[in-house]
Amino acid sequence: MNISLSLKLLWRDWRSGELTLLLSSLVIAVATVTTITLFVDRLQQALIQESAQFLAADRVISGRSELDEAYLLKAESLGLKHAQTLSFLSMVFSADRAQFSSVKAVTDAYPLRGNLIISDAAFQKGDVVVRGPEQGKVWLESRLLPSLDIKPGDILDIGVASFVVEKALIKEPDRGGGFNNVGPRVMMNMADVPGTEVVRPGSRITYRYLFSGPEDSLTEFSDWARPQLPEGFRLFGVKEGTEGIGNALERAERFLLLGGLLGVVLAGVAIALSAQRYSLRHYDHVAILKTLGATPNGIDGLFITIFLTLGIAATVLGSGLGFVSQMGIVGILQPYIPIELPAPGMEPVILGLVTGFVCLLSFALPPLIRLRGIEPVRVIRRDIEESGVSNRLAYASGVLGTLGLMWWYSQDLYLTMMIFSGAVASIVVLGLIAYMMLRSGRVLGMQAGSVWRLALAGMQRRGPENTVQILVFSLAIMLLLILFLVRTALIDEWQTQIPENAPNHFAINISPEDVAPIRQMLAVNKIAAQPLYPMIQGRISQINGERSQDYDEQNQRQSQNQEEPDGPRSSSNRNLTYAASLPDDNVVLSGEWWPESYSGKPLVSLERDLAVRNKLKVGDELVFDIQGRELSTTVSSIRSVAWDNMQPNFYIIFSPGALDEFPSTFMTSFYLEREDKIFLNELLRAYPTMTVIEVDAIIAQIKTIIAQVTMAIELVLGLILISGGLVLLASIQASMDERFKQHAILRTLGAGQRLVMGSLVVEFCALGLFAGLLATIGSEITVYALETEIFELEYSMNPSLWLLGPLVGMVLIGTVGTLATLKVVRTPPTIVLRELA
Amino acid sequence: MDKEVIIKTVDLSKTVSTSEGELSILKGIDLEIKKSESVAIVGASGSGKTTLLSLLAGLDVPSRGDVLLGRHTITKMDEEQRAKVRAEMVGFVFQSFQLLASLTALENVMLPSELKRDPEAETKAKELLQRVGLEHRMHHYPRQLSGGEQQRVAIARAFASSVEILFADEPTGNLDTSTGGTIIDLLFELNEDFGTTLVLVTHDNRLAERCDRSIQLESGMVVQVPEAAAAS
Repeated sequence: MNISLSLKLLWRDWRSGELTLLLSSLVIAVATVTTITLFVDRLQQALIQESAQFLAADRVISGRSELDEAYLLKAESLGLKHAQTLSFLSMVFSADRAQFSSVKAVTDAYPLRGNLIISDAAFQKGDVVVRGPEQGKVWLESRLLPSLDIKPGDILDIGVASFVVEKALIKEPDRGGGFNNVGPRVMMNMADVPGTEVVRPGSRITYRYLFSGPEDSLTEFSDWARPQLPEGFRLFGVKEGTEGIGNALERAERFLLLGGLLGVVLAGVAIALSAQRYSLRHYDHVAILKTLGATPNGIDGLFITIFLTLGIAATVLGSGLGFVSQMGIVGILQPYIPIELPAPGMEPVILGLVTGFVCLLSFALPPLIRLRGIEPVRVIRRDIEESGVSNRLAYASGVLGTLGLMWWYSQDLYLTMMIFSGAVASIVVLGLIAYMMLRSGRVLGMQAGSVWRLALAGMQRRGPENTVQILVFSLAIMLLLILFLVRTALIDEWQTQIPENAPNHFAINISPEDVAPIRQMLAVNKIAAQPLYPMIQGRISQINGERSQDYDEQNQRQSQNQEEPDGPRSSSNRNLTYAASLPDDNVVLSGEWWPESYSGKPLVSLERDLAVRNKLKVGDELVFDIQGRELSTTVSSIRSVAWDNMQPNFYIIFSPGALDEFPSTFMTSFYLEREDKIFLNELLRAYPTMTVIEVDAIIAQIKTIIAQVTMAIELVLGLILISGGLVLLASIQASMDERFKQHAILRTLGAGQRLVMGSLVVEFCALGLFAGLLATIGSEITVYALETEIFELEYSMNPSLWLLGPLVGMVLIGTVGTLATLKVVRTPPTIVLRELA
Repeated sequence: MDKEVIIKTVDLSKTVSTSEGELSILKGIDLEIKKSESVAIVGASGSGKTTLLSLLAGLDVPSRGDVLLGRHTITKMDEEQRAKVRAEMVGFVFQSFQLLASLTALENVMLPSELKRDPEAETKAKELLQRVGLEHRMHHYPRQLSGGEQQRVAIARAFASSVEILFADEPTGNLDTSTGGTIIDLLFELNEDFGTTLVLVTHDNRLAERCDRSIQLESGMVVQVPEAAAAS
C-alpha cells in the first residue's frame, strides 16, 4: 500500500477544500453522537442516583424475617456497601403521653443514598447528616414532639428501654416505603433494638437490607441472589421499588435512547451523503490515476488509507468536540438542573469513538470502495457507467451498520426491529409516492410560468436523485417530528399523572365508628378527600383448588431460565378492600365490574400485574385466608391501576358485603396545602388512633425528577435537530455540482439571476412540501406504533401535524436549500463552466 | 533494418449494445506499429478512432481479438495486470487535459512517478516542467492555468515516468491554432528526445502530417495504412 502517496493525496485534497464537507460532516456526526451519549449517560446516572434516594440504596432486599448472612458476605465480596433497617409498629411513651408510632432502627451505614435531615426543634428546615442516631438516642418526626408533649433532651420509652430524644427528624430518604411505615416515625440505632425487648418471634417486623455500589456488581449480586431468595423476601431496585418514579425513569431512558438512535441514523445518513459526494467527485481522479498505471488494488489501498486517516482524525476530533460541547451544555444548564451530575465516564467516550467508526465503515466505506471499479476509459468517454462493487453492497452495509448500532445502543431487539422495519416500510412507500409526486409536478409545471416550469422540470429531470433527496429530507423531518410528538405525549402524560391537587396525605387505621365523623370533619374544612376505603389484611391461600405457595413455586420453575417475572406473588400478604364502584383511574381490562347494588356471592377484581404474573384470569376460583378464616371468591374482572396517582390503590378489591364479617380499619387520602398542615394536629387530636402519612415531600420529589427528565428530553431533541440540519445540508451539497452546471448553462443562455434564484426557491420549497407531507404520514404511523407498543401511552391523532409537517418542510428546506445554493447564483457562469470542463 | 513491433492488433473488434440492437464500432482491425514510430489515427467523427485508441492503450476491453503491447497480450489480462502494463509502458495526453484539479502543476506531473514510488519524482517533475516552459507556474492549480499551459502540464506528466508509448487523444482539440501549433512542436520535440512511440487521434491535418504515417478509419474499418514515409 502506497501510504505516503495516500497521505499526500489526502493533504492535497484537504488543501484544495475537497475534503471540508466530508470531514466536517464526520466531525459533526461523531460530535453529536458523543455529546448525546455523554450527556445522556451522565443524566441517566444522575437520575438513577437521585431516584436511589427514594430507597436510600441502589438495591433493597426486604422481608419479614432476618436474611441469611450469606447474602451480606456475598455483597461484601462483590465490593458492595450494605446497611440494614428494621421497622415495626409500637407504642412509645413520654412522661405523660403515649403514641402509636412506626419505629425504624438503622445501622451506622444507613443511608447509603440520600441524606437525613434533622433539627433541634420540630418543623424546622434542619441540617443534613449522613448517618442515623447514636446508641441510646432517638430522633422523632416533628409531629410526634407536640403530640407526645416532649422536646429534645427528654426521655422516651420504647418497650422496656429508655432513650434520650436528641433531634427532630425532618426528612428521611426512604420514608415513602408503602404502608408498613404507617405512623409517625421514631428513628433509633440498630444496636439498641434487643434492649427494648419489643422484637420477639412472631412480631410483625419489616427487615430491609440496603446495598449500593457499581452497577455491574449490583447486577451480579441481583442475579445471584434473586433465584435463591426464600419465600417472603423481595429484591428490588429504584425502578421496581417505587412505581411512579420507575415508570417515568424507564420511559425517559427509552426516549433518550430513541433520541440517541435517531442521532446515529441521521449522522450516518449525513456521512453516507458526503462520502457519496466525495466518491463521485473522485471518479475522474480515479480514472486518471488508472491511466497512469494505478491498479484496482492500489486504488483500494489509496482510498482506504485516506479514509482511515480521515476517520481517525474525524473521530478523535469529533469525540473531543463532543466532550467539550457536552461540558458546555452541562455548564450552561447547571443552574437549571437541580441535581449534581456525576463526572463523565470513559465508557461513553469509547462508545462515541466506536459509533463514529462503525458509522464510517458502514456508511462511508461502500461509496469509496466503488472507486476501484471505475473504468479508466472514462477519461475519454465521460458517459461510461462505473461497474465494480454494486450498490447493493453499499446499501447492505449501511443497513447492517445501522441495525447493529441501534441494537447495541438500545440493547432491545424489539425496539430496534420496530423502528427499523417502520423505517424500511416508510422508505419504500414514501419513495413511490415521492416519485409519483415528482411526475405529477412536471405535468402541472408544463402549464405554469417559466420559473415554475424550470424548477419542476429540473426536479423531474433529476427524478431518481430527487426521489432520494425527498426521502432523505422526509426521513430527517419524520425523525424530528416523531421525537417531538413522543416527547410531547410523554411530558403531557407525566404532568397529568400528578395533577395539581393530587392527594398528598394518606390517613390509615381509621376505626369504623370514626368513618362518618372524619368524613364530616374533612368536608367542614373543605378538604378534598378520596372515599374512605376499608382495609383488611389477608392473602390468597388457594388458586383453583391448589395451594398458592405450590402455585408460586411452579410458576417460578416454569420461568427458571428467564428473569424473575414482573409483578407481585400470589401468596404474599396484602391489604384487601371492598368497593361498590370502580376507583378513579382504574380501567377494567377484562371481565366486568359488579353493579353498585351487587350483593351476591363474593367476587373479586384483580390488578393486571398480579393477574399476569400469576396467570390468573376471569372465572378463576380463589380462596383467601383473612385473619385465620377462609373466604371463597370468583375472579370477576382484571383491571389496570394508576399506581402513581397518589390515591389509595389496591391489588385486590372485593365486591360489596364480601368482607362484612371481618373487622376492618379504613383509609383515605386527601390534599392539604403546606400552610394548612396544622389541621393535621387537630385531626390527630380528635382521632388519636388514626395515622397520617405525609407524602407531600415525595410528590415534590417526583415532580422534580419529572422536570429534570423533561429538560433532558428537550436537550436531546435539540441535539437531534442539529443532526437533522446536517443531513439537510449534506443532501443539498450532494446536488451542488449538478446545480452549478445547470444554472451556469441557463445563465449563458440568457436567464437572469432572478429566474435562476426563483427556480431554486420554488424547487426547494416544493421538495420541502413533498418531504413534509411524507414525513407527516410516516411519523403518524410510527408514533402510533411507538406510543402504543413501547411507551404504553394512549395514542391520539395529531391534526395540527398535517398542517405543521408540510409547512415546516417547506420553510425549512426552502430556506436552508436556497441559502446553501446562493453560491450557485452568485458564481459567474464562466468560472463554473471552466471548472466543470 | 526493420524496427521491433511494439503495438500489434489481431482481428480487433468492438460491439456495444444499444436500444436498437448491437452496434459494431470496430470491425476486425489488424495493424502493427513499430517502436519509435509516430502514427496518426484519422477519420470522420464516429469512425471509431477514440475507441481504437482506448483499446490499444488497454483502457477498454475489446469484444473480440487481441492487442499486444511489447510482449504483453493485454487483452488476456485482468484490470490489475493491465494497470501494471500501463504504469510501465504507457503515457497519455488527452483533449481535455485531465489534470487533477486538487493538485498543483508540479504535483500533477509527480503523480506517475509517485505511483511507482520513485524517490526522484519531484526532481524529474521539475525538470520536465522546465522543459515545457512552465517553471514559473509549478505551484499553480489547473484552474489558474490557460488551456495551452494545462496541456503542457499534461505533456510533462505523460513523459514523467519514462514510458515507451505515448497515446494522445486530440491533443490540440481544445486549443486555438497558434497554441495548438506550440503544443504540437513540444510533443514531437519531446517524443524525439525520449524515443517514444507516439500514437495520436486527431482531426488536425497539420498534426497528422507531422506523423510518420496515418491510419485512416471509416465505419470501424481501416481503409488505408500508408507505410512509414521515412522509416529511417
